[in-house]
Amino acid sequence: MIAIQRSRIDVASVVDGVRRDDAGAVVVFLGSVRADAGVRALEYEVYVPMAEKAFAALVEGAKSKFEVLEMSIVHRVGRVPVGEDSVVIACSAAHRGAAFAACSWAMDEVKRIVPIWKTESERGPDRPWPRRRLGTRKKD
Amino acid sequence: MRQRLIRPAAIGTEAMRVRVRLFATYREIAGEGALPWNLPDGARLRQLVDALLGTYPRLAAHADTMLLAVNLNYASPDVVLHDGDEVAVMPPVSGGRT
Repeated sequence: MIAIQRSRIDVASVVDGVRRDDAGAVVVFLGSVRADAGVRALEYEVYVPMAEKAFAALVEGAKSKFEVLEMSIVHRVGRVPVGEDSVVIACSAAHRGAAFAACSWAMDEVKRIVPIWKTESERGPDRPWPRRRLGTRKKD
Repeated sequence: MRQRLIRPAAIGTEAMRVRVRLFATYREIAGEGALPWNLPDGARLRQLVDALLGTYPRLAAHADTMLLAVNLNYASPDVVLHDGDEVAVMPPVSGGRT
């Protein structure tokens, strides 16, 4: 399952999408919007067709490199408030080692190569004048 | 024997058209996220980038870090473009700490 969506991510359905009877391990990673000083939400911009293609390649890569059975990647686009998940990656494997490794690798690759950009879309009272900052943040 | 007197119209130098996609800061600089762009036949990606920098001088500050893609694949400036290609000019992706 690969999806880029505006709505909240239903984590349970992403996890269910990778369950298999021959999978002894399911690992799920949630990337959430953190309440850095004054941040109320992040705004995600996505080059959707290229990101979908990159996600599909990551799923195939995870299967060939780590003996992963199934992998799902779901990412939000648009405004995501603090506390909500902007990305969910779930993967299943026969044993936990492969599932942990593949999930970690896939998330690193998402950050490295998938065309997604984020902006602090709103700031709180400590910085009342919103300043858009694109591609400059070093932290999630 | 009759000779054909009418020849096909000469092909101009601006013979192909690509679609340029701009994202994030670059989209804000250009004021558009998608632009049609005419180029001479056989033009390379580098020529398109140079033309964009000429049209939008504020992009020049980002010239060393921009990511380029043709038809959804990352591409080098040396790649030859073709009519109908979709070319994306993108800031570095957001990254983050592990």
